[in-house]
Amino acid sequence: MSDRSIPSYVPRGGPLQGVRVLELTKVWAGPFAGKLLAFLGAQVIRVESVESLDTTRSMTGKDWDNAPGWQAVNPEKLSVQIDIKKPDGRDLFLKLVKQADIVIENMRPGAMERLGLSYDALRQVKPDIICISMGMYGNEGPLAYQTGYAPLFAALGGVSALVGYEGEPPVGMNIRYGDSTSGTASAFAATVALNHRQRTGEGQFVDISFVEVLSTMISDTIMDYSVNGAIPACDGNRHSNMAPHGAYRCRDDAWIAIAIPSDAAWSALTVAMGDPALGEDATLATLERRQARCADLDARIGAWTADKDANELALALQALGVPAAKSFNSIELTTDADLWADDFYPAVTDLNGEPRTIVGPSWKMSSPAELTRGSPALGHDNDYVLGEILGYSVEERTALTEAGITR
Amino acid sequence: MTALSNIRIVELSGGVAGEYCGKLLADFGAEVIKVEPPQGSPVRALPPFAGNDRGPDASALFAYLNTNKRSIVLDLESDGGRDALARLVARADVVIDDHAPGWLETVGINPDMVGASHPGLTLCTITPYGRTNAKADVPAEDLTLFHAGGWGYHTPGGVDPAKPPLKGAGRFIVSYEAGMEAALCVSAALFDQHRSGHGRVIDISKQRVMASRLDYVLAQMLVGDMDVTEARGAFDLGGPASIMPCADGFVYLWLSDTRMWWAMHDLMGKPDWMLEFPEDWLQKGCTPERVALSRQYFTQWLKTQNKHEVAAEGQKRGIMVVPINTAPDLMDSPQYQFRQFFTELDHPVVGSASYPTVPYRFSATPAVLAAPAPSLGQHSKAILDSVTQGAAQ
Repeated sequence: MSDRSIPSYVPRGGPLQGVRVLELTKVWAGPFAGKLLAFLGAQVIRVESVESLDTTRSMTGKDWDNAPGWQAVNPEKLSVQIDIKKPDGRDLFLKLVKQADIVIENMRPGAMERLGLSYDALRQVKPDIICISMGMYGNEGPLAYQTGYAPLFAALGGVSALVGYEGEPPVGMNIRYGDSTSGTASAFAATVALNHRQRTGEGQFVDISFVEVLSTMISDTIMDYSVNGAIPACDGNRHSNMAPHGAYRCRDDAWIAIAIPSDAAWSALTVAMGDPALGEDATLATLERRQARCADLDARIGAWTADKDANELALALQALGVPAAKSFNSIELTTDADLWADDFYPAVTDLNGEPRTIVGPSWKMSSPAELTRGSPALGHDNDYVLGEILGYSVEERTALTEAGITR
Repeated sequence: MTALSNIRIVELSGGVAGEYCGKLLADFGAEVIKVEPPQGSPVRALPPFAGNDRGPDASALFAYLNTNKRSIVLDLESDGGRDALARLVARADVVIDDHAPGWLETVGINPDMVGASHPGLTLCTITPYGRTNAKADVPAEDLTLFHAGGWGYHTPGGVDPAKPPLKGAGRFIVSYEAGMEAALCVSAALFDQHRSGHGRVIDISKQRVMASRLDYVLAQMLVGDMDVTEARGAFDLGGPASIMPCADGFVYLWLSDTRMWWAMHDLMGKPDWMLEFPEDWLQKGCTPERVALSRQYFTQWLKTQNKHEVAAEGQKRGIMVVPINTAPDLMDSPQYQFRQFFTELDHPVVGSASYPTVPYRFSATPAVLAAPAPSLGQHSKAILDSVTQGAAQ
């Protein structure tokens, strides 16, 4: 049972204060878009139901309010439970649309229409509504019927083909890459539409393709094909403008990333390596020459780093002006003192009234939105949404519950 | 008119992140004045280039990142240059910068004071670790931030521990991600700026942007819902999902349940070997041995298949299988063509080329690539004239 004393509406400030977002999303990319809008100050209300639970709520069993993956991506949101598959539930949702600014959804193409919630239907009750429709391939088109998860977006968008060891088949990005990127592009689109509506009074329908979002993360590669017909093969850690450029094994199987963007950085690296002769070697004096011998240089650097402490080495190289960083494992990522000092991991009040650490926004800004609460229990905000926003009396709300529209 | 056509932005960026941020806003109609040093933005010197030309206008990367912008050359090491910049900033809604922390102060803009001196302005800075982070002055590149942001160590998934982590796709994933985050914050700030008259100072950290993209796993790790370990596979999911070779390239195949297992059985012509697996093994008996064995069989069969055809047939049966696309696949994609993801743009030096546009289709205010990237200083005189007139009025 969640803590009912947690208030539904608290003015939190932030640039999007006063903006109301209804969210019909599942899994990661869609909820991530809503999270960013909430972090910017919008009031984000998830409309959900037991009949159609987000899989991140249900995948770990019955305790859907405390499901770990669910809680990770849905802090700072409200939840109202409405079964929109019932006609009366649909009508209730439309009443809520009338009081909203933005609807974001990542249902399968055509699902909103089948529910009677097409953009036209929404526009009839709220002419200036902004509808953000998200999908793997977008809402319409010859391949829109195809659906999938993030690694499929990355494969289709051209990202996976570029990640692999030199001379080997592609291996792709980490399986976690793609959802949050797609959610960010969607949140950006929502704010752009909001700006337009603010000045003109005009809403609109925005149709987002996650596959295309991923393609925009490799646009320069696409431009190279467009202009020169180039199709790059997997090249490990090589870089057209830097050499050496790679990850090198240190003591205890830790890794250090080193990128050499200039001749000066190269010279500094050779000083750190205690090998000034290497630094004075004219055959390595330019980027092109170092690139021609980068396998050899990688081996020499790897031999040098092998018995060093990665963190100490990174600090020493940084002090010499060499771009370097210890490759963070998940322990370091969650315990990095500088990230904590930046308040990147703030504490909020979770649905049981306990403090809970969350991943905060990446940005810092003046007059930010306050972060107050964790992810909502299913239907935690029914009374606020149905009572205060829609003005239903206690009796009317009871009737809705008895009819199975809400719970 | 497009969505941001009344917004005036001064872009001081010299890197991919800041230029991408400016582009995302310029493609929605914002007037983006790109202030460049006499030698031009450093991005002008980055490949890919069109042909053998290495001049300031031959970079296809620069051409992509600076569509719809205007260019003015200002020598910000001179009093005159800084004075002109101050005039531009005075009538701007937004300033975007991605130089190292401390650089803005040298050109007369102090992020800590700008809220008082220019209350109606939004200033957005993009830096490696964030302006206030203890590592603010640490030298960094996209690669080192990919690692400091938690992705490098865990890329690729299902890693061979003998091999080093990989940089991720292409050169600029970190910069594009940070530029997009910056554009989101600027756009949100503009919404409030319009109604309240107050701008914001925004501090984007590339490291934090990358770490925040991991929230699904990172937030679980923070509270002990997922193991926090030194394992390079700490983010991985189990199962036989992987990239596999086929006759004309590669496909990505992800089977996650019994239904997909039988759908695959059907797609492959009902091979006997699949009957020897327990039908619910993907959910209840996903051992490394079974994963390895099934991959062997799948690979043998896929070698006889073409990637687009097998993906289409698989998708019809509800199997998560897709081609590993390359740039020519994207240009040939009927879906990309239907959505008009590419647009032809003519540039005086780069020539006519297909540009990737944007991944969001707006019904009322679509993004438009109306003008190619400016040549170095192309609009210097026009912009200076308008600033002088503004000052005289």
